[in-house]
Amino acid sequence: MPGTPAETPAVLAARDALAALRRQQAFAAADEAALDGLIAVRPPARTPRPDPVWDDAPVLVHEVVGERYRRLVLRTATIATTALAGQFLMITVPPKGGERILLPRPMAIHRRHPEQGTVEVIYGVAGRGTTALADVVVGESLLVTGPLGRGFEFPDAALPTATPSAGPGPQPARTALMIGRGVGVCAIMGSVEDAADQGISATVVLSGRSRANLIGLADCAELGATVIPVTDDDGSSALPALGERLRARFAATPPDVILVCGAGVLARLAAELGSEWDVPVQVSLEAHMACGLGYCHGCAAPVATDPAVEGPLVCVDGPVFDAVLPLTAAAGGANAAG
Amino acid sequence: MTIAPPRTPTDARSAFFDARPADSAAVDLSVRIGSLTLANPVMPASGCFGPSLGRLIPVTELGAVVTKTVFGTPRGGNAAHRLTEIRAGMVNSVGIPSRGADGYLAGQHPLYLTLGVPVIVSVGGHRSSEYAPVVRDLRGAGDAYELNVSCPNLDRHGTDIGSDPDAIEKVVRLVRQETDKPLIVKLPVLVSSIADCARAAEAAGADAVCVANSVPALPLTADTRSPVLGNVIGGLSGPNIRPIVLRLVWLASRAVQIPVIACGGIETTDDALDYFSVGARAVQVGTASFGRPYAMVEIARALQERCLAAEVADIGRLIEIWRA
Ligand SMILES: Cc1cc2nc3c(=O)[nH]c(=O)nc-3n(C[C@H](O)[C@H](O)[C@H](O)COP(=O)(O)OP(=O)(O)OC[C@H]3O[C@@H](n4cnc5c(N)ncnc54)[C@H](O)[C@@H]3O)c2cc1C
Ligand SMILES: Cc1cc2nc3c(=O)[nH]c(=O)nc-3n(C[C@H](O)[C@H](O)[C@H](O)COP(=O)(O)O)c2cc1C
Ligand code: FES
Repeated sequence: MPGTPAETPAVLAARDALAALRRQQAFAAADEAALDGLIAVRPPARTPRPDPVWDDAPVLVHEVVGERYRRLVLRTATIATTALAGQFLMITVPPKGGERILLPRPMAIHRRHPEQGTVEVIYGVAGRGTTALADVVVGESLLVTGPLGRGFEFPDAALPTATPSAGPGPQPARTALMIGRGVGVCAIMGSVEDAADQGISATVVLSGRSRANLIGLADCAELGATVIPVTDDDGSSALPALGERLRARFAATPPDVILVCGAGVLARLAAELGSEWDVPVQVSLEAHMACGLGYCHGCAAPVATDPAVEGPLVCVDGPVFDAVLPLTAAAGGANAAG
Repeated sequence: MTIAPPRTPTDARSAFFDARPADSAAVDLSVRIGSLTLANPVMPASGCFGPSLGRLIPVTELGAVVTKTVFGTPRGGNAAHRLTEIRAGMVNSVGIPSRGADGYLAGQHPLYLTLGVPVIVSVGGHRSSEYAPVVRDLRGAGDAYELNVSCPNLDRHGTDIGSDPDAIEKVVRLVRQETDKPLIVKLPVLVSSIADCARAAEAAGADAVCVANSVPALPLTADTRSPVLGNVIGGLSGPNIRPIVLRLVWLASRAVQIPVIACGGIETTDDALDYFSVGARAVQVGTASFGRPYAMVEIARALQERCLAAEVADIGRLIEIWRA
């Protein structure tokens, strides 16, 4: 139409959308770069991994939690009784409203209830697959394969810290610091369960956009873990602030291990803390997956290797890896590769 | 990694193992690939199976298993992302990481041998001359070889070896000098004449052709229209390539006497029967196994059931009934 001003509402909206996209891209790029040089395959596990099965798991609960997530309770006795902390499922999304999803979606096992033969999964709607998954109703069954992958593991004994405790009396209880952001909390919740079982004192940082979007508050309360809730809307999740808070809190007695999932920048923070405190750090990673069993070779982990040698696979060598600060960064040196 | 037997009666996997139908003497699903007889015509597609899947399904109900392509020298594979899903298909650019023939013999082959079915070893190369040395280095391991000629030919500016009948002929002739075992040539989709390619394989001594590999494709992200895959382009597979491959199987079946093994988007027994009805003698299942690990076995079981229900002795007669 002649004479239409250039800045129509449609133009303004498109401009806003583009700016939001740019921010999102920049954030994603920074988050990915934060993992650079950090990831190493964990040494062989102490406990043998359970054999995976597939199952038709009836959906007992499917409800909205917070503003962004959904919780599934699935009955699958074998998986509920065998799954180790930090393992995951491949969930096949049934055909819904003309939508057919071919590849199963990897999802962490958020909670295990062996006595009830159930597991819980919490997921966010991201794209086609999770949108179709959201249409599944109670009473339907989901084809699930699991438990899969290498999970989190507490170190055997309390690790020697840089300065052995000089105080009198027994060694303090074993402690773990766990850091989860968004649905990344789900990967660490199995370890919160293990900590409760094994008498390990767990401090759990739950990070999210807002209080209403924090996953795991009720679970941590039930399991007796100490929660540090941090959110974007009040700035408490911002990195330097969170780092300083944790340094202050653990200055006297660092935790024996740090477990982290949900953001590359948090993994880097955890690796920095681990290096300062001389404690091991484990991080759970994501990758696009088709099989979850190690045979499709689709889920390359972000580890630089010799071009003639295949690097580790997230589904079998992970999803949990060691996060170790590269020497240059640990020494405070600039790393040109970023 | 061990191949554990089914453990507990409390999951659908165990129930599926238990539901194994009795073999029926009234139905013969066997298929011959050269000197090798497969008990039935259903097998996995290369790259879409591994011994770890063997723990989840009763592999002995398959006609054979096919390995991921083995290259002569170790290859690392492509950058992430290596795969994604699009409507009615998936695109992968795994890049065929391989530990070389020695790595395969030391690591994977012993696991394949525990599965209890014929093992077809997929072999790759980047020049017509690269396949025979791999087969030699495999030192007789495997019951048959599937020559994956859908690889860029470094002698011919990266066009697929399998798009050039002369190159196919050379690959098969050289490999034939190394082994008497059955040879299957797995052809690419983008060729000017699938009939010429299949004839070249047959003339050089192949015992079967497999039609076909995945279809070159480029998936973009919805928001930024940037490539999803680290390698930018990848291979499209799944139900959306089925009509394309059906045509190729139909053409290839008319061109050669040796069996045509169909591979492309097979998810159900009816998909498999579509391929049999245009001339295929065996089928390979790839993408469908990711979402439904038991899909292949389900197809093998249902083929026998369909023949029993129609009171015919084999798939050929089943198809004749519809045509009658
Ligand atoms: C080990 C593991 C555990 C996970 N646990 C959880 C969880 O507990 N809760 C949760 O909400 N999400 C979890 N995710 C992420 C979840 O798998 C993705 O959000 C989901 O696959 C997106 O599918 P979509 O079809 O909705 O998205 P689309 O973007 O449409 O998906 C397209 C393709 O990319 C893949 N993909 C896209 N994003 C991811 C991603 N972040 N990770 C892996 N694959 C992706 C999809 O699987 C699909 O193949 C986990 C991922 C991994 C690897
Ligand atoms: C993840 C993945 C890996 C593959 N790897 C190989 C391979 O190593 N060698 C090969 O010949 N074909 C490979 N293919 C192609 C398949 O064998 C098959 O030809 C193709 O996927 C079409 O069949 P489908 O539609 O049933 O999946 C691969 C396919 C996928 C999806
Ligand atoms: S998802 Fe198939 S190898 Fe990891």
